Amino acid sequence: MTPEGGETGMWERWTRRREEVLQSDLLPSWYATRRRRRALAGAGLAGLAMIWAGTVVSWNLAPSDTAMWVTISLLAVSVLTTIPVVAALNVATRGTTSLAESRLDERQVAERLRAFTVAHRVMLAVLVAVVAGVLAADTDHVPMAAVVVGVVALFETHMLLPVLVAGWRLPDPPPDDEDDDDENDR
Amino acid sequence: MADGKADKEHVHNRIAVLRAERGVSRRELATALGVHYQTIGYLERGEYSPSLHLALRIAAFFEVPVEVVFSLAPFPRLGST
Repeated sequence: MTPEGGETGMWERWTRRREEVLQSDLLPSWYATRRRRRALAGAGLAGLAMIWAGTVVSWNLAPSDTAMWVTISLLAVSVLTTIPVVAALNVATRGTTSLAESRLDERQVAERLRAFTVAHRVMLAVLVAVVAGVLAADTDHVPMAAVVVGVVALFETHMLLPVLVAGWRLPDPPPDDEDDDDENDR
Repeated sequence: MADGKADKEHVHNRIAVLRAERGVSRRELATALGVHYQTIGYLERGEYSPSLHLALRIAAFFEVPVEVVFSLAPFPRLGST
């Protein structure tokens, strides 16, 4: 929002580039079938579970070298798992949960709302489980590392659940006209 | 229960027939309507029912009354009457 509109121009170009990538068929074999999309969503959930496991390890073993290395390893594997999974599911859903609502059509907005609604309910269940876990645990001495990793786990879960839900729910998209033409040419 | 509700609210359409008749591709129709091309495919497969606004715009695109494109009852097959 600079007077020259430079920042707006950069933001516009970035948004357009993102839209182009999301409309491209990047690694289509990863999400071609519902079973594969659900496997991706499952891998994403496993990635999130690793951060929660890191929280539990830090809670019980920190401060110690074992806690530090186990938590760092779990976080590293989680990042390496979730980044490609989220990228593939974002392309599969054509940015339904990541693009601005003004960039989506009415069907995509409806899908986005359903995904956010389900993710909201799942997040509520996660919060209840976290509160129950904390109340049941020994809270005399809570390691700072566990609090930090726990907060990271909460943020990641909150951020990634909508795209995982959207990927899980996505029906097989109809074939493109160009695919139909290719079929006819064969 | 959900399936029953979906069946009850199912709206039949003749978008694929009209599109084939006029030689319009899904992408061309989608661009004209300002929707994603996959949305046209989902509409044609009956997996998504459009809003009244989109239904009217589809009918306007094909220059026919809306009831020619959409119906609550299945459309009769060609040659069945």
